[in-house]
Amino acid sequence: MADAVRTESLTKYFGAVVALESLNLSVAAGEVYGFLGPNGAGKTTTIRILLDLVRATSGRALIDGLDCRAASVEIRRRVGYLPAEMPLYREMTGVGYLDFLAALESRPADLSFRRKLLTRFDVSDIDLRRRLDRLSHGMKRKFGIIQALMGRPSLLILDEPTSGLDPLMIEAFAETVHELKSEGRTTIFLSSHVLSEVERLCDRVGIIRRGQLVRETSIADLRRDTPRRLRVFFDRPAPPLPAALAGAVRRSGGRHWELEWSGPLGSALDAMQGLAVADIEIEPFKLEDYVLQIYSGTAGARD
Amino acid sequence: MLFALFRRSLARHRALIVAVAALLSAFQILDIVVAYNLQANGIYAQFATLVPAFIQEAMGGVLVGSFPGAIALGFAHPLVMLSLSCVAIYLASEPAGEVEDGLVDLVVARPVPRFLIVARSTLVYLVGSAAVVAAMFVTSRITVRALSPATLTALPAVRLAWVAANLLAIVWCFGAAALAMAAHVRERMRAAGTVGLVAIFLYLLQFGATAWNPLRPSARVSPFHYYEPMRTLLGTVSPAKDVVGLLAASAALIVLACVLYEKRDL
Repeated sequence: MADAVRTESLTKYFGAVVALESLNLSVAAGEVYGFLGPNGAGKTTTIRILLDLVRATSGRALIDGLDCRAASVEIRRRVGYLPAEMPLYREMTGVGYLDFLAALESRPADLSFRRKLLTRFDVSDIDLRRRLDRLSHGMKRKFGIIQALMGRPSLLILDEPTSGLDPLMIEAFAETVHELKSEGRTTIFLSSHVLSEVERLCDRVGIIRRGQLVRETSIADLRRDTPRRLRVFFDRPAPPLPAALAGAVRRSGGRHWELEWSGPLGSALDAMQGLAVADIEIEPFKLEDYVLQIYSGTAGARD
Repeated sequence: MLFALFRRSLARHRALIVAVAALLSAFQILDIVVAYNLQANGIYAQFATLVPAFIQEAMGGVLVGSFPGAIALGFAHPLVMLSLSCVAIYLASEPAGEVEDGLVDLVVARPVPRFLIVARSTLVYLVGSAAVVAAMFVTSRITVRALSPATLTALPAVRLAWVAANLLAIVWCFGAAALAMAAHVRERMRAAGTVGLVAIFLYLLQFGATAWNPLRPSARVSPFHYYEPMRTLLGTVSPAKDVVGLLAASAALIVLACVLYEKRDL
């Protein structure tokens, strides 16, 4: 089965500026893929090439095995897109906006599904009748999410989907993603700076920096491979380190050790058996820590 | 799909179209009322001696100092021609505006072939400017019918329709040029402003050519060169060839717009 999204040596120059350089990534059908990178890394350019809004200088992008350039219209039939900056016809009402965008779809609108989304995102009939330029940023964002979802696309491309949403609506969005994931018919390509959200929602992440993919991995692998910080406390002066833990020590002395442990934690705990451990603090896995290292270039590129 | 795009764009520009149609229709009424008073006071008789010959020539010659001439002036006044051209230019520059404010991301991310965006803007500027000219035409006919001096032979509606069609063909030409420009650039004001300035320059070029012979060959590039409202009203020339030529130029520019828009980054 073809990947839902695939790029092959995708390169894009804007004049002398290199936006993307030989980008190769793949997203399996039904997967929720987090596309991460610092500002200006090339995320939006990649997304806009997938939608044929921007043309690649070289290489190609494929959706469901179809070339994004050659089969542009067919591909856009399958895609729901939420841009990072929500463009609006200011003078339109919310309902007019959704009706207009539905009229541009090749399939007839599923009004009951749209109604369900409006309810889930707490958009009232009054909000629907108000002009878009009189709505709050969060409410505009809700309309953005709804317009992307309402056509029941097989591929959702979401650029900063929860920016400006309140916690309740972020929860509603997460619920929607989980639902789509469990149905298994929708692939989600999600770009976000909210790393806790990515960690929670995505199966895999691709991290891009200066137009190049520096890491593509599953969240599960990252959890497994990323060193965890452990602080081991003793009631008396810390004993000598067991050999199994010696390579992991960052600091030892006084009444505690500070360890950076890669791999399953069970073996670290096994090595402490028999020691008079008073307490252990284990920092939870945070995608943020890892991604920040990648952004700043201190973590090595793998995979 | 095209209808939805067309309706949306027309709704966005409705106020502009209605306002310009109202203003230029009011201009027709004012023009004809003034002409009526001049006729009633016998001013036209003195006109030939008051207005320099080259200006009369620039304005179309023999008819200028007459009641029918005043009707033609409603369709040939520089303010009218340039206002109409500006409307068409602004309407046609929408594709650049959509790129500028990001709306293109919303529309073209859906299964909308790119040529439909150009087709939509073509339809909007054609229909928008035609609506304004139609309003001017109807207002002019009604006012003439109400005020036309009894002694004057009725001006055939067909001739006035030809004048209107010729004016519309010029306006469409500028609209097509703006469309081609908007298909290439990212800012609406850059597309509309550039073509608007070119329109003013080409008007001045044609005006200058009527008074200064050396300019005449170069004035052929100006669409205004192919517009003789006074002579058309008089029935001494048929503008059919000019209209066809201007329409052909517009068609070529629209094709160019399609090609440019198809190739560009949005």
